[in-house]
Amino acid sequence: MRDVAIIGAGSTQFGRSQWSLLKLMAEASHDALTEASIGDRSVDAVYVANMGSTRNNRQAGIASALVDRMNLFPAAADTIENGPASGASAIKNGYLAVASGMYDLVLVVGGERMREVNNFEATEFVSYLTHRYAEYIYGTTLPALAGMFARLYMERYGVTSEHLAMVAIKNHANGLLNPNAHIRTPVTMDGLLHGPQASMNNPYVAEPLRFFDCCPVSDGAAAVLLIPLDMAGKFSKTPIRIAGIGQATDTHAVHERPDPTVLTAVRLASEKAFSMAGLEPKDMSLAELHDAFTILEIAESEEAGFFPKGEGHKALERGETKIGGTLPINASGGLKAKGHPVGATGVSQIVELVYQLRHEAGERQVKDAKHGFACNFGGFGNNVVATVLSRGEE
Amino acid sequence: MKDKIFAAKCISCGMLSYPTHFYCPDCGETAFEAVPVEGEGKLVTFTRAYALPLDYAQRYLTLGIVEMDTGIKATGQLLIDNPKIGMHVYATVGPVREISGHDIPGLIFKEKRRK
Repeated sequence: MRDVAIIGAGSTQFGRSQWSLLKLMAEASHDALTEASIGDRSVDAVYVANMGSTRNNRQAGIASALVDRMNLFPAAADTIENGPASGASAIKNGYLAVASGMYDLVLVVGGERMREVNNFEATEFVSYLTHRYAEYIYGTTLPALAGMFARLYMERYGVTSEHLAMVAIKNHANGLLNPNAHIRTPVTMDGLLHGPQASMNNPYVAEPLRFFDCCPVSDGAAAVLLIPLDMAGKFSKTPIRIAGIGQATDTHAVHERPDPTVLTAVRLASEKAFSMAGLEPKDMSLAELHDAFTILEIAESEEAGFFPKGEGHKALERGETKIGGTLPINASGGLKAKGHPVGATGVSQIVELVYQLRHEAGERQVKDAKHGFACNFGGFGNNVVATVLSRGEE
Repeated sequence: MKDKIFAAKCISCGMLSYPTHFYCPDCGETAFEAVPVEGEGKLVTFTRAYALPLDYAQRYLTLGIVEMDTGIKATGQLLIDNPKIGMHVYATVGPVREISGHDIPGLIFKEKRRK
């Protein structure tokens, strides 16, 4: 197997976009290709992560459509649909293709245009991730699964609504430093929970989770360009190595897990990624975690091995997960503020790590970042991809 | 409308699973007997969800996970005003969603009051 590096990264603005899905994907891809200065060298293959183009945008075969839009013929093209973990899954497939020697130059793009449908339809579309016969028929949505998870987690580990709000406050503050973030508004504890307007501004979505505990519904795309590490120096002055990838699955119906507060797939995927990288959680300079709901940032920070189970909210409380803390989490703003165009998210997390490890993240730069970790969480934790990236040896 | 929701009991090892799987999660065998999800259990967790799919006209749905006395767990709707973790409930079956003009039957849990 060959070592694989990222030599280009790009992202659109996340939010409500006037652009079509293909335009979003093409713009992010163009940024990644331009950054890498590949000249007239052609892309061998394109992996496109997307969950809902067939339903929401009336376009199937999105990878072939993107090759056409960008005139990348005759590149191989595959669409990866793996729910909200599609992005990191597509990167894994791109990695395997380059590592195996099958292709040299691979473009991985994730994109989603969710605001083409209304919020009811978007909620319904995402709820197709649940088990059709044991969850979906009851009106179970992803926020409902997260609400049930949060209720038990809070009761068991002493996590409070204030802790959840701290995640939102931190990630909104980080989002302010990210020009591509969907939400660029600071929020306060009073505004979210204790002030006179709090119950109006921040109503329950799925108790105990409130509006500001949930990520927004976003449009957006992100892209990275992969090449064998030994060729990377020609195209990039700071290639970023894909050091480890781990993936694991868990039961589809959340209720079937022996302990519904344990995210086994996050733990296993993270262990595999760290072991492949030959690194440990303590070696990470920063982490991008899949905070589709605030409670998930806390739970994933524990399952990935950064903090003992039940201690994640205490580290948050101590400020350890802020930029400047011992392990900044979601310096990009996370899904919470940066936004969550589902197919784009896993790629976008990697784009953030690339900027951070190149030390090009601007105001939100994590000092001396050397290794970064990402957790891309599919369904309600039934398919998780963890990735470790490293800045090259200097 | 069906009046029962079924779990699968492995004919080889007796393990109950819900929902059903192709291979028994315990012993890997493929032959099962359908066993209704019924009787009593206790509430593991719950939520009151307000952002509902278009199929629902009501303002919110109360959903929960119940651990049945038989050992299996199930997700269902709760017809309980003031749910609490650990409370005793019993399973009923009724319409839980209308899909393409059809009422879909599912588990509806109600509070089991102690005599």
